[in-house]
Amino acid sequence: MADSAAAPATNGSTADYNLLPKLIKHLDRHLVFPLLEFTDSQLAQDEDGNVKDQEKAHEITRAKYELLKKTNMTDYVANLYCELNNLDESQKPAEYAERREKVLAQLEKYEEETSKIRELLGREDVVNNLRSDKVANLEFLKREHEVTPEMVDALYDYGNFQYSCGAYGAAADLLYQFRVLSTDNDKVSASTWGKLASEILTTNWEAALEEVQKVRELIDSKLFNNPLAQLQHRAWLIHWALFPLFNYDAAREPLLDLFFNAGFINTIQTACPWILRYLVAAVITGRSRARNSNAYQKQLKDIVRIVRQETYEYSDPVTEFVRALYIDFDFEEAQRQLAKAEEVLRSDFFLVSASDAFVDAARHLISESYCKIYTRIDIKDLSARLGLDPEQGEKWIVNLIRDTRLDAKIDSQEGTVIMNHPPNSVYQQVIERTKGGFFRTQVLNAAVAR
Amino acid sequence: MSRFFRGGDDSSSESSSDEEELYSGGEEEEKQSDVEDSSEEEEDDDEQESDEESSDDEGPAKKGANRFMVSDDESESDESDTEETHKVKSAKDKRFDELEATINSITNGQKNGDWSLISSEFDKLNRQAQKLIEGKNVPKIYIKAISELEDFMNETLAKQKVTPKKMNATQARGLNAVKQRIRKNNKDYQAQIDAFRADKDAFMESDEEEAKPAPKPAKVKFQDIALDEAQQAQEDDEGFSTVGRGGRTLQFTPESIFKHLRGILESRGRKNTDRMEQIKIMEKLFEVAVTPYQQLRVLLTLISARFDLGSGAATSMPLEHWKAAEKELALLLKVLETNKEYVVIENAEEWDDDEKPPTLGEGEKYIKVPGSIVSYVERLDDELTRSLQNIDPHTSEYIERLQDEGALYIIIFRGLLYYEMLKKDESLEILQESLNRIVARRLEHLYFKPAQVVKILEDNSWNAVGDKVDSTITPRGQSKDDAAHLINILATYLFANSEGIIRARAMLFQIYFLALHDEYYKARDMMLMSHLSEAISSFDVQTQILFNRTLVQVGLCAFRKGLVYDAQNTLQEICGSGRQKELLAQGVMIQRFHQVSPEQERLEKQRQLPFHMHINLELLECVYLTCSMLLEIPLLAQTGSSPDVKKRTISKTYRRMLEYHERQIFTGPPENTRDHVMQASKALAAGEWKKAIEYIHAIKIWELMPNTDSIKSMLAKQIQEEGLRTYLFTYAPFYDTLSVQTLSSMFELEPRKASAVVSKMISHEELSAALDQVTQTVIFRKGVELSRLQSLALTLSDKASNLIESNERTLEQRTQGSSNAFERQGGRGGRGGRGGGRGGRGGGARTGGNFPRQAGGTQFTGGALGAAVRG
Repeated sequence: MADSAAAPATNGSTADYNLLPKLIKHLDRHLVFPLLEFTDSQLAQDEDGNVKDQEKAHEITRAKYELLKKTNMTDYVANLYCELNNLDESQKPAEYAERREKVLAQLEKYEEETSKIRELLGREDVVNNLRSDKVANLEFLKREHEVTPEMVDALYDYGNFQYSCGAYGAAADLLYQFRVLSTDNDKVSASTWGKLASEILTTNWEAALEEVQKVRELIDSKLFNNPLAQLQHRAWLIHWALFPLFNYDAAREPLLDLFFNAGFINTIQTACPWILRYLVAAVITGRSRARNSNAYQKQLKDIVRIVRQETYEYSDPVTEFVRALYIDFDFEEAQRQLAKAEEVLRSDFFLVSASDAFVDAARHLISESYCKIYTRIDIKDLSARLGLDPEQGEKWIVNLIRDTRLDAKIDSQEGTVIMNHPPNSVYQQVIERTKGGFFRTQVLNAAVAR
Repeated sequence: MSRFFRGGDDSSSESSSDEEELYSGGEEEEKQSDVEDSSEEEEDDDEQESDEESSDDEGPAKKGANRFMVSDDESESDESDTEETHKVKSAKDKRFDELEATINSITNGQKNGDWSLISSEFDKLNRQAQKLIEGKNVPKIYIKAISELEDFMNETLAKQKVTPKKMNATQARGLNAVKQRIRKNNKDYQAQIDAFRADKDAFMESDEEEAKPAPKPAKVKFQDIALDEAQQAQEDDEGFSTVGRGGRTLQFTPESIFKHLRGILESRGRKNTDRMEQIKIMEKLFEVAVTPYQQLRVLLTLISARFDLGSGAATSMPLEHWKAAEKELALLLKVLETNKEYVVIENAEEWDDDEKPPTLGEGEKYIKVPGSIVSYVERLDDELTRSLQNIDPHTSEYIERLQDEGALYIIIFRGLLYYEMLKKDESLEILQESLNRIVARRLEHLYFKPAQVVKILEDNSWNAVGDKVDSTITPRGQSKDDAAHLINILATYLFANSEGIIRARAMLFQIYFLALHDEYYKARDMMLMSHLSEAISSFDVQTQILFNRTLVQVGLCAFRKGLVYDAQNTLQEICGSGRQKELLAQGVMIQRFHQVSPEQERLEKQRQLPFHMHINLELLECVYLTCSMLLEIPLLAQTGSSPDVKKRTISKTYRRMLEYHERQIFTGPPENTRDHVMQASKALAAGEWKKAIEYIHAIKIWELMPNTDSIKSMLAKQIQEEGLRTYLFTYAPFYDTLSVQTLSSMFELEPRKASAVVSKMISHEELSAALDQVTQTVIFRKGVELSRLQSLALTLSDKASNLIESNERTLEQRTQGSSNAFERQGGRGGRGGRGGGRGGRGGGARTGGNFPRQAGGTQFTGGALGAAVRG
């Protein structure tokens, strides 16, 4: 189930920085579908159904068709086929009807096969008797209710089939049940991947997040002696995790932690540097949301370091922005890249919703480091740098001063902001360094005494 | 090294035991199956024999002495022959007595099972018998002794097969030697032995007639003795004795080829063998050889005989013989190519019958001839290297010699093709290792060459093999034009098919090549992902040298790319040690403090790379010093103005040189590279960046780099920037404000660039200043310089917090993290001044950003890369 769909990336070069072809390789075919859908909608939006772009739309439909051909979503595939060949609803080829029948028959068969066990698992008294020990559970079910391992496996097949049909919710349930009972490690890990995909597709983010953690544990524990497979699985997980990362606020923190984990950051650097765009975007947009600024600073530092390391391998406006701002300290360039990055973000499936937040946060970052370095700033100039008009710029600065409690004043007459950088007093430094000392020693003392 | 090339230096028992180990596997097998002597065993035994001769106390010395005593005796007796005839008789009797005594001790040995004794006694016996036999009368007791000995030996062998208990090494060797010689020896007396066996008593009694004294005149005998023993042993083989004596008079016929070869083979490695003579004989033999089998056999023997000439540690093979060997090897390969039914492989059985050549049996595809092409190729390669080591590289001789490399490469290439062909047939059981070895050799000849040279080599070798042949590993179309691709194919082949050292070497070859061709990032990533820097210390010296070379090459590549920091970091390990010469095997260090044994020195010399593979050390030093300058001078300026900053040193070597340079009272104009860099450093430190550039550009050695101009301009740019930084560090205390405009005109940088540099410094808190956008000036803050007391207070507080931290860590280790005291502290500490950095430490967030520090010496940025693959 974890196989990546090698769908033909017929998507034209809508933008130079389109990552779709690269992403597709690491995603399941069902997961690719939303991406294609998005590209489709973008076209419609951009061109207002222009005739010129008919071809492209057609291409995308074809891609969708190719993508889903192998799945069991026969109705939809048939529709797509009709659309492709400009057929009427009624002219559907017979083979699809046939396949549909088959699929339904299969579905029924599975339904039957698993009815007993599902019924059992639905019963309160049975579930209450289940323990955390899988083998014992299986033993118990076998003894009390004549459940065979084949029946459990049938659950897996059924879940797989449901997923293929596009019934993700049902698939998730089935796979969950399977996982509770099965002792087959390979299938359990496959079902975990399947459940993750299902949760993502039903946009059940909380559950998806849980699954991400589970998959991660699986990768760490099961594959520790197979570095290559580990790398590959990590790459998949990273790609899959992009869905919750940009759609579910609460997922941000744990997922960023995951991404910054040594193993995963290495994977990103080796196997899929383009993820850096998402990582950068996630870090930067997280600015206002981050609870403690220390963690945020740390992430920022890390991302700057990684971007610097990977410049030779991957760069796009988003990473270029980071580079210009934090490595070259070239504010003009940063501004230019920010404008480009905004464009890129707007045409990216994952980042489209975050683009405003990104631009906002990026402006903050620019002004922050600008203020850190300059002592007197021309408001007009700063506004230009932030891509705002002077009026807005002044407002922006006032907000900035208020929000971050900068020690700054606006000189309205000259149209400048004067930053006051108090020198870091030596006394202050000494005090800070020795501040925690007493307490820490006490704790230490207590620990030793125990 | 292969056992085929055993030579005169048998005295080093170490090397021979080495080989025994190598081949012991095969030997044991053979012992178990008790196959007829295959060539392997025979030759092995030959070695052991000669080994014994030299190592054993009763070896050649005694033999020789005995000989002379005997012959003296004889000549004496001859002189007195006319006068006292009974003396002759008594001499003869004496010999009989001796014979009997020897036989007795052999019988004793048999009782004790002391094979080493038997072996030496048996030798003696044979020699004594030889003299008695001259009268054609074989002494009965001799026949009896040898036939009994043979029986006993067979018995022992049979026993040995049943009981797994092994004899000790000397015994086993003795047994082997006896076994060998008995087979050879007894063949000659087969008739008598049979008679003896048939009816023991009758045979002994049949005729007790006295053997007549040897009628041969003493002088002839004397000559005989001077001859090689082996040839003497062959004496009853008609037609060969004449070779020994006359040489030229002999007729070489196709029929007698094998006999000659056998003789030569047996005399190999013995003393007093005239190798040149033998080679000449073989050359003649080759001329008369008609069938491919004969040709193969002669060539195989001939080539190994030639290699014997070059054995010995220091000397290399004579030039003309190397060339001849090269030609013959090519010829051999050609014969093999044209006669596909003959194959030369390592695991073939020796064909013992000299009379008729082997024929293609039923169901057999090949006639197998024992031999090892890969060993020949390797040896040829080694010999060339050795001779290149010995030639002064600045002579035209060296260049001439170097041209032979082309021919050698063709041989390697053809050898590879041959092995590929053999490999295709599963039934031959070609060891993957042979193929790996030859691929590695090919790679070894390519990796340090520029792409154009590789292309020429490749073109030549493809032309040499003709149009029809194609290679499976490196198909014609793919490898011919793109050197990088070729290297990649070869290296990938080795990654997939080999392990251990060859694999590591393949990796290094490829990295070296990539670095040489300016593929810095690829080379660096491979270097990191290979994890070689961790394992390299467990490899052999040659591979370590290769690793050092690769490291240096990667560093130079980084420099060409303008990555000064990376270049310095990479080169630090090699150049910072001051032992570049030794580490790169490009010269022997003069040991000042302790004596080097001659043995060590010899080894050291053997390791040296031939000159054409050298990395220019002066260039290397120049690059290293320049990089160090660019990093160190701003650092010095920075730490110079504030004494409390911890004294960091990037390169100790550079610092030392700089200090030395500064101590000099008079500094003349720079003469060598080092002077140039030092003067440039001084100028840079003083803010005179233009002068620094002049000095650096005046270094002649940059001409050796490709794209000299771009490197120079890169350096100029770096110097400008670093000059600006140094200037700011040095003179900041004396300014209140400084216009960016002035700065940019002073250092001829664009204002944007200058302000970027300043911004960077401010942002990294290296400079306490701020920019004023309106007036475009740098405003330096006042009152940041600390008094002595203040800086001491800071240091103290630093140390105190370090102490607490280390205490905590110790406790954590002791309690295995079970005491959760610090978790609380982590949370609470957030309020404290230092809490931020340590906040994440206590809880599970440990994974957050703890990147593994790069292990090993190479501190590349992006060191974490490799860990991804490892997991």
